[in-house]
Amino acid sequence: MHSLHKQKQNVRTSIRILQAVVFAGFLIMLVRVFQLQIVDYETYSPLSRQNSIRMEVINPARGLILDRNGTILVENQPIYSITITPVNFKMENIEKLASLLKMDESRVLEKIQEAQDYSWQRTSRLFTEVSFDVFSNIQENIWQLPGIGHQIESKRNYPSEAYAPHVMGYLREATREEYLAADEMRLGDKIGRSGLEMVYEDFLKGKFGTEYVKVNAYGQTLGTYGNGELNISPTKGADLVTTLDARLQALGEKLMEGKQGGIVAMNPQNGEILSLVSAPQYDITRLAGKMDTEYWQTVNVDAHTPLYNRAISSRQPPGSTFKPFMGLVGLHLGIITPDTEIHNSGAYMRGRAYHDLAEPGDYDLELALTRSSNTYFFWLMDRIGSQQHLNEWADLVNDFGIGPRNQIDLPSEVAGIIPDSTYLNQAFGVRNWGIGDLISLGVGQGLISVSPLQMAVAVSSIANNGYKVQPHLVSRIQYSNGDVNYTGPEKEKIDWIRPDHLQTVQDGMRGVVTVGSGRYYANIPGIEVAGKTGTAQNPHGEDHGWFIAYAPVSDPQIAIAVLTENSGYGSISAAPIASLMIEQYLKGEIQRQHVLNYVLDFKPVLDEETEVLQ
Amino acid sequence: MFDPKEFSWSVVFIWASLALVGLVAIYSATQGPVSQFLPEYIQDNFFRQAAWVGISILLLVTVQFTSPRTFQGVSYLFYFVCIFLMIITVFFGVEVSGSRSWLRIGPFNLQVGELTKLATILAVANYLTSRRNISAENIKTALTALAFFAAPVILLVLQNESGIAIVFIALLPVMLFWSGLPYGISLLIISPALIGYFTVLEWYWGLAAVFILTCVIFFLQRRTWLTISSLVLGLMVIIGTEVALHQVLQPYQRARVESFVNPTLDPQGAGWNVLQAKTAIGSGGFYGKGFMEGTQTQLRFLPEQWTDFIFCVIGEEFGFLGSSLVLILFSALFLRLLFMASAHKHPFARLVIVSVTFVFFIHFVINIGSATALLPVIGIPLPFISYGGSAFLTNTMMLAICLNLDLYKRSFSIYR
Repeated sequence: MHSLHKQKQNVRTSIRILQAVVFAGFLIMLVRVFQLQIVDYETYSPLSRQNSIRMEVINPARGLILDRNGTILVENQPIYSITITPVNFKMENIEKLASLLKMDESRVLEKIQEAQDYSWQRTSRLFTEVSFDVFSNIQENIWQLPGIGHQIESKRNYPSEAYAPHVMGYLREATREEYLAADEMRLGDKIGRSGLEMVYEDFLKGKFGTEYVKVNAYGQTLGTYGNGELNISPTKGADLVTTLDARLQALGEKLMEGKQGGIVAMNPQNGEILSLVSAPQYDITRLAGKMDTEYWQTVNVDAHTPLYNRAISSRQPPGSTFKPFMGLVGLHLGIITPDTEIHNSGAYMRGRAYHDLAEPGDYDLELALTRSSNTYFFWLMDRIGSQQHLNEWADLVNDFGIGPRNQIDLPSEVAGIIPDSTYLNQAFGVRNWGIGDLISLGVGQGLISVSPLQMAVAVSSIANNGYKVQPHLVSRIQYSNGDVNYTGPEKEKIDWIRPDHLQTVQDGMRGVVTVGSGRYYANIPGIEVAGKTGTAQNPHGEDHGWFIAYAPVSDPQIAIAVLTENSGYGSISAAPIASLMIEQYLKGEIQRQHVLNYVLDFKPVLDEETEVLQ
Repeated sequence: MFDPKEFSWSVVFIWASLALVGLVAIYSATQGPVSQFLPEYIQDNFFRQAAWVGISILLLVTVQFTSPRTFQGVSYLFYFVCIFLMIITVFFGVEVSGSRSWLRIGPFNLQVGELTKLATILAVANYLTSRRNISAENIKTALTALAFFAAPVILLVLQNESGIAIVFIALLPVMLFWSGLPYGISLLIISPALIGYFTVLEWYWGLAAVFILTCVIFFLQRRTWLTISSLVLGLMVIIGTEVALHQVLQPYQRARVESFVNPTLDPQGAGWNVLQAKTAIGSGGFYGKGFMEGTQTQLRFLPEQWTDFIFCVIGEEFGFLGSSLVLILFSALFLRLLFMASAHKHPFARLVIVSVTFVFFIHFVINIGSATALLPVIGIPLPFISYGGSAFLTNTMMLAICLNLDLYKRSFSIYR
């Protein structure tokens, strides 16, 4: 009986204990659920949203680049890319991914690590410009590859016959710093690195759109989140309407093939650049899209520096093409009048003999220009130097755009050198220079150096009767919403130039083409061309040829400067090129086939060993 | 014979509520928008489960018209049949996702391990209560009971069903405790599990558990040898756990254990399931995201969301309201069953009801503990809610037997 009682007691206690255990279990679970759902709700709710909603950046279409007639110079072409979000990628899938990509595992691993280095959280491009086959393979198997994505993007395409690499410029992937500085940029996003692509990057790039999409645990996209009210459509980049003439540009590029130098053709009335060529060119199509490392290295180490824009950055003495400006400065300073005659005896004597290849005789300014007599300008420079006009002279020359940067809308424009006393003090030491260092400046030799762009701007001032124009490449920026920005810079009168002085110089330059050194190649039937040849002495090799011109004389539509390096006399190297450009632009076709053939067959003496670039 | 006044309708109500919650959750987890990512045979799980619920109603009713003595009478036979079937399963079973625990019978796949739970409870209860004055204090009796448990545990491990094996291992101390094993020794038996758990969290927590448990055992039993063995055993468990974690376990196994402690250590690997499960429940908030609106559930972020992680579906879509309702339903069931046991006069019936209660309770704790990351992920279903025909039938059968024993408790005591 006692034991039975005890047993009952035990049962009651045991039940109590078990009840307590059950109740404790219930309480623990309840507290835990309360903690997760009520206390930590703010932690887990965003987690679940991040899980199932992904923000996708939608690349805007980059703006197009058009020529002055609406011909498309740069457009976009679809390319296929594979992306990765490292945090979601499972490393054991590398083998599968590599086989779908048809690549080595080691190469895939390398790219994945690169993406990881950039960011674990942000989506990066793993491979761009994969073939459509690979792209669709990946697309089909994407559910097996969490963290891997795919997208259709675009690369730059150059549909016209004009490539103008030095004007357009190339795109390159943003650097790590640029990438980290911009929120909406992803690894592999490209930005303009040179040319208009760089200068107008902010207009061309457009605005990124964002789309919130639902994704499942496999990373598959299940369409837009909600009704898409959170989505922001991308804004297409603005189109650039350039001042280039595609056919003229294409001709210029063709004419400069195999040569070294630059062409700048512009409308002398308003500064619109019609053509800007730098030779040698690089193949811009090989720098579009996927990084062609091999080609990139090739163009970077090439001794002829194809990436270098000679049209705006080279510094060469202008040679005799400088004479018209000397004439105008001399007239303004009152040292000469249009009627001043200087005798050429075959050389100008001042400490030593400065040779003159023009026939001996008396030369006034017009004749001195037409026949390119050196004596006249040695004498003039001698007066300028000895009468303490040097700094004034430099300022006046600068007024033409010769020397300073002309603020063209391209990067890496380089200023020329018009030596004034400050410059000479620096170059030779204070008072350590004399008249002997100045005289050859009169014929554009010596310390003076300019770029084709500066000469084109300068000759425009002669063509347009004394106005300084602002050279520019973009005339309109057309936004995707229809707004248009006009970039028509005002031209500015150079107030010290007198019309009668100008007339003398213009007549002299017309004479160059009709009876002077330009008569062989620059005289175009039916077009009144005025110009000036030049030959820059080159101590390192064959002389550089120059030609500046404008046409038609009565109402100039085109002004041009051509530099052909290591090609000898400007009259036989640069002049034919300039005249063909003028003919093409004003007539719309080339009728002088023999001149064209002559230029195409012309080969400069390019010597890699002696080539020195500043 | 069937007296409606004696019948415990409340238990049937709870059973039906849980089954309904289960069907709703399984519907959402397999027929909701998520179905597009699921193979057809998994989408059909809902309809199969509905059929099993229907069959279970018949079973529940049928059992009530059975003589309560039958269960005691056939218990040994039933046990050996089940063991036999399990041996067959080890060799000829159907392998489903890594475990060979299914026996193909006609059109059905039977998970014999589930049925063996019931068989083991009946057999051990019969053994422990068949003779007068038997007590688990007797070492021979305890060892025999242990043998009854050892057979299914070994077979389950062979079938790669360690989850269910853990249920058996956890049930043994409860049955022995109920049968008179001194409290101190009962505590000693379950102490390694507690100490191990805390050691995995932090070794010094394990040490604290050892001291607390040893003190409790000392106050309960006041026997020096027991106290010393508790201390020594506890320390060995700590050392063993640490050695196992750092020396024995493969890195991926260790990652799994460690990721339970800190899932953010490896959010893409071992911690993934844990993190997704917690995120599902946590993001449910108070009201939940709504039926078939849970993003974690419907976008397939949850593993095994129709079985082992079904509580996450409830938590995500029905929030704190839904999940606490489930907790309350279960606790009400457990407490009602324990009351039933205490009100019964027959030792066999009492032990069976207590054991059945704790089988459910162990499932409940492990399943919800896994889903809420209180425990490492041990894949076992939530009774009456998770998808699974064998489990649902067996669980209903066990509940039906408890109801039967309760229904006939007045007539039962005569047979004592």
